[in-house]
Amino acid sequence: MPPTIRMDEVSVTKQARRVLTDVSVTFEPGGVYSILGPSGAGKTTLLRLLNRLDEPTAGTLWLGDTPYAQLAAVTLRRRVAMVFQVPIVFPGSVRDNLLTPARLQPQQRVDSSDCVGLLALAGLGGAVLERDAASLSVGEKQRVCLARALMTHPEVLLLDEPTAALDPTATQRLIESIGDLNRRLGLTVIIVSHQPEQARTIGGRIILLVDGRIAEHATATQFFAGPVSQSGRDYLGRALAGAAS
Amino acid sequence: MSTQLIDPSWLQLGVAAGLMLVAIGLSAARGLGLERDLVIATLRTFVQLFAVGYVLGIVFSGANPGLIVGILLLMLGIAAWTVAGRQRRPTYALRVLVLGSLTVGCGVTLILATEIILRVQPWYNPYYLIPLMGMVIGNSLNSATLAVERLDSDLSSGRDQVEALLALGATSRQASAVQVRSAMKAAMIPIINSMMVVGLVSLPGMMTGQILGGSAPLIAIKYQVLLMYMIAFSTAVSAFLLTTLRARAYFTAAHQLRHEMLAG
Repeated sequence: MPPTIRMDEVSVTKQARRVLTDVSVTFEPGGVYSILGPSGAGKTTLLRLLNRLDEPTAGTLWLGDTPYAQLAAVTLRRRVAMVFQVPIVFPGSVRDNLLTPARLQPQQRVDSSDCVGLLALAGLGGAVLERDAASLSVGEKQRVCLARALMTHPEVLLLDEPTAALDPTATQRLIESIGDLNRRLGLTVIIVSHQPEQARTIGGRIILLVDGRIAEHATATQFFAGPVSQSGRDYLGRALAGAAS
Repeated sequence: MSTQLIDPSWLQLGVAAGLMLVAIGLSAARGLGLERDLVIATLRTFVQLFAVGYVLGIVFSGANPGLIVGILLLMLGIAAWTVAGRQRRPTYALRVLVLGSLTVGCGVTLILATEIILRVQPWYNPYYLIPLMGMVIGNSLNSATLAVERLDSDLSSGRDQVEALLALGATSRQASAVQVRSAMKAAMIPIINSMMVVGLVSLPGMMTGQILGGSAPLIAIKYQVLLMYMIAFSTAVSAFLLTTLRARAYFTAAHQLRHEMLAG
């Protein structure tokens, strides 16, 4: 069972600008959360905090009953893995990429059959294993990054707009893979998106960030039936109108 | 054939300065706008070298160990400030780090060469220590500048890759290993290139100087070989320390990339 992650009145200030303000939210084990919001709302910053790539200016993050600050960042990141918006593959083959986490921690035993299994979960066939990772399409690279993140056997998966660079077909396939991961591995999935329709497909819970504050926190059904706040209604209206045009 | 050293007269030096007039004239003819710089460079070369010659004259005649060590430290200090000053963020911490790395790299080299290999007498003999240290520091200075610059530019341009590794549970040392390696390589390449072509394409300054000074070519060559090895050793040690320790400044204790340290 993955641990509960809690953010307790977390604020972030960068270069005198408030990026997040008093964010308090709990991510329950095995849940699927879509973080929505306009550009600059603080979505990526929130995800970076959860992976501890950044520190909050104020407030506390908790993994289970332990504050983030008391956990070794290296261990935490293996339990709470992150996939970035732009897929970053390392030089070498797909297999080299997948074995990177094992190389970083040589005492960790890695079964090479993991590579094939996790690639399949990420939606890629084992035939790509020996291919040069740099030669793959953007969509394939993103899947390699997803499978690579899974090699640490994380309990929580953070995805920062993973479909931003993908075409509609690749997007659909990746969304299906993410749903699969949640169901089959029981991972908590927290996904940043700027497409409300995608969040509706994924389901789970929606957290809407506007100007660094949580404007809405509801189930996908409740949110799409009608946001409670004015800023939520404005955002959804604009976003759906933009998608329709 | 006479091997007695010719002592150039002031008039002969003046004629040599006439060569600079030709260079200045060519600059003016081509509209390069370098005339002022060439005049300043001509004067600085004259003043700086004679000033150093005057100081060395005093140092060599007095041979006071405290003074010799003081001069060596001053040379290291100027080198460290020069290296740090050429960087994008010449912080105090960087100056101290460069000074420490160069002091260890060049200092160990000098002690090994003069005290263990050559066994100069007395140990502070300035005729050996100052020219050898000058050559070693001069080369290490260039290598250190290249190493710090390369580390900064590679970490800045490769920040996504570094963070991708951190997100997979890499330590900051693991995440920056590629960039640290590349920076140390950048520091080592100039001396390797020099060693590859020495004697074939270039005749090194020290060897030329010794031969002009009347030394037997074989002895001059032995010193040049020793010097090349000294430079390679001090470059490797200084660059190893500098790149390893400098990379740490780009990360927090929690293995987070400090974005404010990066360019762009």
